[in-house]
Amino acid sequence: MSLPYRYYDVRRVTGEVTQIDVDNGRVEQAGSSFFDKAVIRVLGEKGWGILSVSGEEAEFETLPESFIQEAYDASQVTNVHIPIQETPSHLHVVPAMKENPADVSLDEKVTILLDMYKATNGQDIVSRRINYIEKDETVSFSDCLGHAYTYHLCRCGFSVLAVASRAGVVQMGYERDHTISGLNIRHRQDLAREATERAQKLLDAKPAKGGVMRAVLDPELAGVFAHEAVGHASEGDLVKEGSSILKGKINEQIGSTLLTIVDDPSLPQFGFCPVDDEGTETKRTEIIKNGILSAYLHSKETLASVGDGVAGHCRGMPGVEPIVRMSNTFIENGDSTYDEIISECRSGILLKGSRGGQVDPGRGMFQFNAEYGFLIENGECTTMVRDVSLSGEILQTLHTISLIGNDLALHPGYCGKGGQTVPVTDGAPHLLLDNAVVGGCEID
Amino acid sequence: MRLIEDILRAAKQVADEAEVFYAQSESIAADLKRDRIAIGSKSKGSGIIIRIIKDGRIGVSCTDNPKTWKNCLDAACASARFSDPLPWKGLPGPEKIDQKPLAFDKRITTDPALVIDLINRLKTGAEAYAADITSGSASVAISEHTIANSNGLYYSTTGTQVHVSLEMIAGQSTGYESDTAWNLDIIDPEKTGKEAAFFAANGQGGEEIETGMYDVVLSPMAISQLLDAAVIPALSGRNVHTGRSVFAGKIGEHIAGDTISLIDDPMDSRGVANCAWDGEGMPVRKIPFIENGILRSFAYDLRTAYRYGENPTASAVRTGQSGAPAIGNHNLILKGPESDILSEKAVYVHDLIGAHTANPMSGDFSVELSSPFFAYDGELHEPIRTGMISGNIFDILHKIQGCSTDTRTLGSTIVPSVRLSGISVIGRG
Repeated sequence: MSLPYRYYDVRRVTGEVTQIDVDNGRVEQAGSSFFDKAVIRVLGEKGWGILSVSGEEAEFETLPESFIQEAYDASQVTNVHIPIQETPSHLHVVPAMKENPADVSLDEKVTILLDMYKATNGQDIVSRRINYIEKDETVSFSDCLGHAYTYHLCRCGFSVLAVASRAGVVQMGYERDHTISGLNIRHRQDLAREATERAQKLLDAKPAKGGVMRAVLDPELAGVFAHEAVGHASEGDLVKEGSSILKGKINEQIGSTLLTIVDDPSLPQFGFCPVDDEGTETKRTEIIKNGILSAYLHSKETLASVGDGVAGHCRGMPGVEPIVRMSNTFIENGDSTYDEIISECRSGILLKGSRGGQVDPGRGMFQFNAEYGFLIENGECTTMVRDVSLSGEILQTLHTISLIGNDLALHPGYCGKGGQTVPVTDGAPHLLLDNAVVGGCEID
Repeated sequence: MRLIEDILRAAKQVADEAEVFYAQSESIAADLKRDRIAIGSKSKGSGIIIRIIKDGRIGVSCTDNPKTWKNCLDAACASARFSDPLPWKGLPGPEKIDQKPLAFDKRITTDPALVIDLINRLKTGAEAYAADITSGSASVAISEHTIANSNGLYYSTTGTQVHVSLEMIAGQSTGYESDTAWNLDIIDPEKTGKEAAFFAANGQGGEEIETGMYDVVLSPMAISQLLDAAVIPALSGRNVHTGRSVFAGKIGEHIAGDTISLIDDPMDSRGVANCAWDGEGMPVRKIPFIENGILRSFAYDLRTAYRYGENPTASAVRTGQSGAPAIGNHNLILKGPESDILSEKAVYVHDLIGAHTANPMSGDFSVELSSPFFAYDGELHEPIRTGMISGNIFDILHKIQGCSTDTRTLGSTIVPSVRLSGISVIGRG
């Protein structure tokens, strides 16, 4: 072929999505849909050209020359020369599932969910909903360098929502679990009951009071903290664009010496990438090691232009070009016990569960919201509080981590960036922050 | 279209009623990384969503490969077997609707010169203030959709969309703006560029704010995010009937200030994707959700209306993974008393960080401010370094003191800037 491209790759994802929605005891939806999407990337003389196709057009065994041409043509609007770095390429084995959801009939899944639904009943409960989702994907990747991979991955999981209401107060409890290790809905009444009990207890919880205080984050929320406050700002594309506060800070002490934060796409958790979406081998990347910024997360492009980090962190939704993303992000264990952390906090707040968060990495500000919390008074957890959030400046907050627990736990979820949503896990042990800015609906 | 007729014919053999939604689109985009175009992209695709009704049970499935419609029809039928039956009163039949496209600009094609021009105009606007571009994008899309059902309904339309966005930075101060329109005369990339540059350049050097109660002016972007987080879900008939809306049972009651109205007007000329029918082929109409502070109506699609014995409001939209129709809105307009909302001192909030973390049931929120300024004498003055605002989204409906004359269209909402009294701001001062 005579086209003057420097590189191309193609990623096709075909699959089936099964969703079941049990809303107040009624099956509102239970069924499957199908997709087949491909994205072709060509690096022209200057920048990238991307072609996205779906359905019949994505149904090719070998990449049609016409698609390379179309993607190349799309690159003609670019006016900046983009270098890319060659990277090691390797496919990790996808671990076998304990029970393949595809082997379980829709009928049986509906029965299991209806059974789980029964566990959500309780006093003051006015609404209950269980959603199941199963995404079965076959990913085929190949590039002009001769790398070619095909793998199959099934992600499934469920969420339980319970709403309680009494005397005009409405509160909700929400629990979910998603996995790559096979069907996870059997015998999960415990989680369903937890959502119900949370909603009930929150009716009597007090609104949180905002202000600057010591805060303990539970593993789920501390994981969101790692993801929002550090993970995004370490993404090589943001560093390259000049919109990360962590730009130019490699080898600087940016946080407590207790702090080590890792992103590991090779870990067989919900954010697992057997190979990244531009064919690069995935591996553990220590973003922060003992408080020192050690590596950025990279793609072939951002590694070439920014350096100081590891490629293999490039991910895209089916049919969409990959960008630098996190996968399984966590804070490594420290050596404090939970009891030590609560006791050392003395007076402050324990924040639990996550309703999500957001970051402005250029400005270095993050925010996230807990599902609930407890006041800590005289080194003990006391009154339950609701609607409590935390915000802060990345560079300042990382120095305020004064204790790190020894009880690391990972939580699956989804992360949005640039209009794309990808599966991730976040995790951490319990953390103690000094001088946290806590938002609540009441102020002094 | 032959394909649609084939599917409907086959579906009629196995179901009482059937519906096909067919969509096709083509788009191109150019992405800025710093001040240069680093990515050019093109996308094309189509999809079909098949819905069948048998004995009051609804089944739905979709595929992006129309050739495989038989599998999709089988999956829709399989799905109907599990769904809970409801007193189904039928899909709509054809009505005399003018199918002339309402959001189609024939000048919009997938010509790369169009996106290059939009990018250049963004950059020209951005030169108004000293700040650097970090990323930006311009895209144009042409789409076509057809809805047809076994009652003889067959509507088809085409639409165009143009979108620009720009992110800028000056020191540690960031500025973000975007604009979406169906028409090249309405899109204003120069203004988008200028605004992004304004917030980046002028947000530098802010002082911390003291914790306390303030008058707060929320930009259209900020107020629409709060409406999305709790108010819009609470107007959904499905949430009302399943115990997930604080508005349940409050029709006729005061739920907002006397001068506040929230109306869905699908044909408002400011809309970006107006269409005479909804996602199920029902002719759209104006729905007053809140009129002068009083709750008047909820939003219903056919399924929810039939299930709970309510009147459908033609509020179905096609979003989400399954492609099934779901309750939404078309052009949700927030109206209040127009006044000069920046004349008296207030905290102006351009954007919010984390609005989606608000409690969707209770409406309680506490979120970080993005590009906050002290405003007075009609202008933004001193930047504020950081701060959180907290409160309750449903209470805010009672705290709106005034609205700006100009509005912005953000997706399916059309909103002014609003001035609120007595809002908690948590500072680091």
